[in-house]
Amino acid sequence: MVSKKVTLTNKTGLHARPASNLVAFVKKFQSTVTIINGEKKANAASIINVLTLGAKQGTELEIVADGADEAVAVEEIAKYIADLKE
Amino acid sequence: MKTISVTKAASKGIVMGKAFLVVQQNLEADKKLIRDSEKEIEVKKFEKAVKDTVADLQVLAKDNEIFAAHMDVASDPDLHDSVVDKINNELKNAQLALEEYIDATVEMFENLDDEYLRERAADMKDVGKRIMCHLKGIRSNPFEGINEETIVIAEDLAPSDTANMDFKFVRGFITEGGGVTSHVAIMARNREIPAIVGVAGFRSEVTNNDYIILDALGAKIIINPDERTKQEYIKKAEEYKEMKAKLESMNGLPATTVDGRTVELFANIGNIPDAENAVAKGAEGVGLFRSEFLYMENTKFPTEEEQFTTYKAAVETLKKPVIIRTLDIGGDKELSYYKFDVEENPFLGWRAIRISLDLKDVFKTQLRALLRASAYGDIRIMYPMIISVEEFLAANEILEECKQELRRDSIPFNNSIQTGIMIETPASVMCSDDLAREVDFFSIGTNDLTQYLLAVDRGNQKIAKMYNSFHPAVMRAINKVIESGHKYGKIVGMCGEFASDEKALPVLLGMGLDEFSMTATEIASTRYNVRNLNYKECQKLAKEICIQSTIAEVMDLINNFMNKDK
Repeated sequence: MVSKKVTLTNKTGLHARPASNLVAFVKKFQSTVTIINGEKKANAASIINVLTLGAKQGTELEIVADGADEAVAVEEIAKYIADLKE
Repeated sequence: MKTISVTKAASKGIVMGKAFLVVQQNLEADKKLIRDSEKEIEVKKFEKAVKDTVADLQVLAKDNEIFAAHMDVASDPDLHDSVVDKINNELKNAQLALEEYIDATVEMFENLDDEYLRERAADMKDVGKRIMCHLKGIRSNPFEGINEETIVIAEDLAPSDTANMDFKFVRGFITEGGGVTSHVAIMARNREIPAIVGVAGFRSEVTNNDYIILDALGAKIIINPDERTKQEYIKKAEEYKEMKAKLESMNGLPATTVDGRTVELFANIGNIPDAENAVAKGAEGVGLFRSEFLYMENTKFPTEEEQFTTYKAAVETLKKPVIIRTLDIGGDKELSYYKFDVEENPFLGWRAIRISLDLKDVFKTQLRALLRASAYGDIRIMYPMIISVEEFLAANEILEECKQELRRDSIPFNNSIQTGIMIETPASVMCSDDLAREVDFFSIGTNDLTQYLLAVDRGNQKIAKMYNSFHPAVMRAINKVIESGHKYGKIVGMCGEFASDEKALPVLLGMGLDEFSMTATEIASTRYNVRNLNYKECQKLAKEICIQSTIAEVMDLINNFMNKDK
């Protein structure tokens, strides 16, 4: 299991289209990916879960991956989140 | 044969067809707990229901991308894992597990103060319904099986219901609930499908496949008519269709009387679809854009940008004058996001322009949006509920401030934008001479004017009979306002229900009203009537009306006038 912290910089946060795009992106990996926002945990493959995180611009998130490609997954997902524009 | 008289014809016309009673589906979960041995079966049932739902949605998603999003929700891993967990560890059956998960998620989304998530809550509910239908083995479209001319009968119909409806065979609607402003009423009017709403207990009067005549002109419903009645109504329906076609054939012709007096026929609108409909129905402009809908259908005060976009779209759709009334709330209209004090007399309280002048920032946001949109077409600003020259001047002073700000920032707007007022208070009638000097136009709001002049609360059923715009006081007030406006060369319009009243038409025309603003669907018949009236005769009639002492005398004069032509 590996984890990495990343800060949301895009305006929308993990919400609306950025959230659904992220969920689609996460499905590329074999690992189980969890996103942690303070006390809340979300299965990153679940749009319902991700939306209920309520992660806004400026929030620090922890990405945790567990599985065969966990190292790559954490790096790429963290980068994907950091690079969100919308 | 059985005839039922009704009161609320929500959408006009005469139609007939087989009765189709919409069965309210019971989608409540079975609450029974399962045994250990049944766990596996319940999980399988759930997974199959999800699979079938995704398959349904895949078909729907070809035409509408909202269903692609629904597919994501249906196949969401959290939904799957949580439901399976409830089955395995809490021994809930699949229906109950699904219901609990959907309810909890919907509640969570709805409680977050976020418009986007509230919409997702509706998606969750819809998807939950679809899966539940598969679990219960019932069809998810309650309108399935309509394959001949049909009158749809329901307790009430929600937007999600009518979205499922194939309108090919739907000829009319009858609902037990709902008022003339309910969803089903508005939808029916927009689609020009006759509808009667608010018929309490109607569903117990009919069974499926009864033959129904829906007469929304005569406000009657006839169940299983005899052959003679049926033929009579087929003829009536035909005549109505012909009349409508005849009326609409005059679209594009000016509303000019036989002796050459031309008036303008405008539409009342509340949003952009209304604006499109106004164009389709031949409106020559918009006499009342109710901007309060922008505020009431929002979760916060609408931003300058949101308002600008809407006003600009309205004037670009019309390509004709659009009179936009500034925020008219208070009284019976409230906002979910602003706390109003409880008032003893809300209609005499803090409402309309009084609020705007107090909440200057809110007012300025609207005025700036209006000014910016005025760069794209003929937008005119109308202040509601004015009682004094001072109020009008104060409002225009704030408008001037906004103009200066825009000028400073080099944002374009129409510098000579017209500003006018609603005439709806007795004070504005008494001071109409003084007001006419200042304003660019008047628009008479007969609903409130009647209520204030007669001191009759228009929402109070007990005194509803006393609410009558043909009262001599109202007649004379309207006449005075038109005279005052014309004395100073100002246009006088009317945007209340009265403007489309067939009996009021010759009187208003005779008094010299310049612009009639009404629901778009009334324009065609008003145009037809204007083109068959004689202005000089109407002027004589109007003069007579103004010296009558009773409503009965007023009505007699009008009825005689109208019958004389026939």
